[in-house]
Parts: sequence; C-alpha cells; structure tokens
Amino acid sequence: MSVLLFMINYFHRILEYTVNHFTLVLTVMILSMVLWFSVGVLISRYEMLAGAVLGLGNILFCIPSISLFGLFMTIPQLGLGRRSAVLALVLYAMMPLVRNVYRGIKSVDPRVVEAGQGMGLSSWQLLWQIQVPMAWPVIFAGIRITVVMITGIATVATFIGERNLGRLIHHGITRSNSDMILAGALIVSVVALCLDMLMGLLEKKLVSPGLRYQQRE
Amino acid sequence: MIELQEVTKTFPGSGTPAVKGVSLQVKSGEICALVGPSGCGKTTILRMINRLVEPSSGSLFIDDQDIMKVNPDHLRRGIGYVIQQIGLLPHRTVEENVALVPRLLKWPEGRIKERVEELLEKVGLDTDEVRKKYPYQLSGGQMQRIGVARALAVDPPVMLMDEPFGAVDPIVRLRLQDEFLKLQQSFKKTICFVTHDMNEAMKMGDKIAIMNGGFLVQHGTPREILAQPANSFVEDLVGEDRGVKLLDLVRVEALMLPREAGTANGRSVQALDSAKKALEVMLEHNVDGVTVCREKQVVGILTWETIKTYVHQAGSEAGG
Repeated sequence: MSVLLFMINYFHRILEYTVNHFTLVLTVMILSMVLWFSVGVLISRYEMLAGAVLGLGNILFCIPSISLFGLFMTIPQLGLGRRSAVLALVLYAMMPLVRNVYRGIKSVDPRVVEAGQGMGLSSWQLLWQIQVPMAWPVIFAGIRITVVMITGIATVATFIGERNLGRLIHHGITRSNSDMILAGALIVSVVALCLDMLMGLLEKKLVSPGLRYQQRE
Repeated sequence: MIELQEVTKTFPGSGTPAVKGVSLQVKSGEICALVGPSGCGKTTILRMINRLVEPSSGSLFIDDQDIMKVNPDHLRRGIGYVIQQIGLLPHRTVEENVALVPRLLKWPEGRIKERVEELLEKVGLDTDEVRKKYPYQLSGGQMQRIGVARALAVDPPVMLMDEPFGAVDPIVRLRLQDEFLKLQQSFKKTICFVTHDMNEAMKMGDKIAIMNGGFLVQHGTPREILAQPANSFVEDLVGEDRGVKLLDLVRVEALMLPREAGTANGRSVQALDSAKKALEVMLEHNVDGVTVCREKQVVGILTWETIKTYVHQAGSEAGG
C-alpha cells in the first residue's frame, strides 16, 4: 500500500523518470538492432571475422556495467548523460544480438538455401528471401532477451546523470527507503514487459506462419 | 539439348574424382534417367548442369551454349529444378513458392497469379484449397506436385530432377510418375532425371545413363540396356527378370494393332498403360486380347500373340 501512496505522491517525478528510462532503452534498442543485425549478417557471410567479433562481444559483456559507464563519462566528447549511457548499453547489447543473428542465419537448413540457389536466387536474394526470414525466430529470441536486459542495466546509468528509474532505486538505497526501491523496481519491470511485448508484436509481424509451426514442433 | 563433353569433377580434399570423363547427350524433348548406387556421381552431374557444382575439367552445353559463359543465377532461372520435398521454402505459401522464379524475372503480378493457378491445376491440385497453405500443411505428394509446378513456372525448356518422387510412399510415387509422364507428353521438356531406382529409371527415361564409381557405364534406351547390358554391374542393377521388365517399359500403344474407332467390348486397357498391365488383364480374365482405349475412345487391340512375339524377339536379342 505504502508503495502505491509513494507513487501517487511523487507521480510527476516518477513519470519523468519512466519516460526517460523508456526513451533511453528504446534509443539503444533501435540503434543496436540496426547496428548488430548488420554485423551479425556480415560475419555470417565473412566467416573469418566471426570468431573475433563474437569474442569481442563476449568480452564487452563481461565488463561490469558501472565501470563502463564511468569510463565513458571521463571521455570529453561523451561526458555525463545520455551519450555515454547509450554507447555503453549498445555495447552490452552486442553479445546477445550479434550472436543470435549469426546463429539464426547459420542454423537455416542448407538444403533450403541450396534449393533457392538452384532456382536462381542471387546471393543477396538468398540472404533476404531465405536466410533472414527463416532466421527471424532465433533473432527475435535474442532481441527479447536483450530488451529486458538493457532495461535492467539502464538503471545503473543513473550514476552518470541519467534521470531515470535507477535514481529511485539508488536514492532508495541511500535513504533506506524501501517504498522508493520497490517503486523503482516495479516500474522497471513494467517498462521491460511493455518493451518485450512491443518486440513480440514486431516478431508476430515478421515471422512467417509457416515457421511458427516448426517452432512448436 | 544438354551436352556434356569429357566432364570431370574432383572435390577439393578428395583424392578420387566424383565424376570421371563423362560425355553425355540429352536430346531435346527427351528424359535421360541418371541411375546408379549412391556416391556414383549422378547427382554431381546434375548439379554441374546448373552450376551448383563447377566441373574441374570438360565442358557443358545447353542448346550449344557453353554454360560456363552464362551468369549462374541467370542460367538457373532458365532451368527447372525439382528436388525432394525439402526444396519448398517453409516460410512461403504454396502460391509464393510457385511464383518464386516469375518474381525473380519480374513478371507483372497479374500474369504471375494466372500462371500459378494454371500450374496448380496442371499438376492436379485444387488451387483454392492449397494456394494459401504453407508447406508443413501439405502431404508429401502435394509437396512434390508443387515442386514440379514451381519448376515449370517460367516454362523452361530444360529441367533437372533430383529424386523428385523419392520422399513419398510407393503408391503415390507411381501416380506422380504417371502424371508427370502425361505432362511431359505435351510439354516435351529436355530432362535430366536422377534416381537410384532402376525401375523408376526404366519407366521415366527415354534414355538411361548408368553410372558407377564416377564413370558412365552405359547409355542407351531402356530396351537396349535390358537387351544388351554392358557388363555384370549393369546386369545386376537391371535384375533377373529382364523379360518381364521389357514388357513393363513398352506401352500398349506401341504394340497394339490400330483399329477403327468403335465401342469398348470386353476387357480394355489404356493406350499409355504398360504391356505388362495388358498381360495381367489377359491372365486375370483368361482372354486372348484386350481393347485399347485412349480415354474413352477405342484406338486398337492388343493380343496375346503380339505380346509373345515381342518378348521372344527381345529375349533372343538379349541372348545374342
């Protein structure tokens, strides 16, 4: 109950934090999907790059987020605030996104690809008409994990000046205010679920019904 | 016409060539059945014709055009390619699968729609029932039919078929073979047909090319191969019952005595049935002759005497 009261009392501030949080994650997701999708496609075609790129993704993923935010903050061109936050989060998204795009494309049955080749599809057409459409289920599994993960890590960006839901949690901890912490945590979860649902809708639009059946099998 | 001249293919990392110095001609409008045990090189030959595999040496021509001088994607769009059912794109509907090559060639949508309907009907499918379905919703036989429809989409003069009826049960396979031969009568495509089943090769092939260990062992009409097997390998492949096989591969229309049109009386067979079928009808009903019909029209008569003479002649050829 007291959590609800807290939310009502500080409605305007919480709304501001929520909007900030949401837009930060959305920006990161849009940038990441464009960037890491392209990289994933690239390494599926230039196999010799795959090891290095996936390795880099893993290393970035292992760096504690708070140190990465802190590090970017000290770079003059980035500084405090959104630019550093976006960059750091985009780098975190690299591992799950690139890996799933790469795996998704690689997991397409080579016989289907070859059938397409035999029909006269060029290698570019094979990619867009066969490999990518058939990889969507795996790619979206990666996207949905990433969006939930990024929403969580984004709370840490509060330390470099992002006025988002992480601030509720941070201030809640320093003031031993459990209502504040709970409010922050709850709303973060709601934001994560909303974004996940949004991606779910996109997935439904993109994944062919012919493949949805196979997933259930 | 498809022509192979001294074609050899050695896959990288393999000591022995998969195909060794094969020269082969498939005349326009003919079906050439490539047959042999697995690993004999028959599929490799097929895949060299549409350049999914590049030959190590030798040349390949389609209608006197050196295919190595054609852009592979353009080459493939002009060749019908039928493979086992996995060849349908699982994420595309039946309609989209059949429309694949016409779309690549940028046909107008109206023409594509018409063509899809026409083709589905030709291969014996109910257009309205299947067009919006995805491959997983189809039976094996339907998938194979759609595979054939897709290969025929832009009416290519040359078709390559890699065990196209391999993944269906024997009864459906027989029906698909019959239907395809019927289509071929009007289409007159130049076809390379890969199979490991000698009976299928006998039935489908105007000519049969027998492969073993990368070599072309024998190339000839089914009758030539039954009558004069080149070596013991071919003999084994053909089997013991060569006489009956001969009857199986000759159509009733080839042996029958033409007759003025009249009404069918007694037992009848279709002109496109095998002579073996006619023999079975005679044996079953204890008669010496059957009427031959084309659809409902009587076109001739086939007697026990004719069959006996034919088998005897062929048998003595085989003996000599």
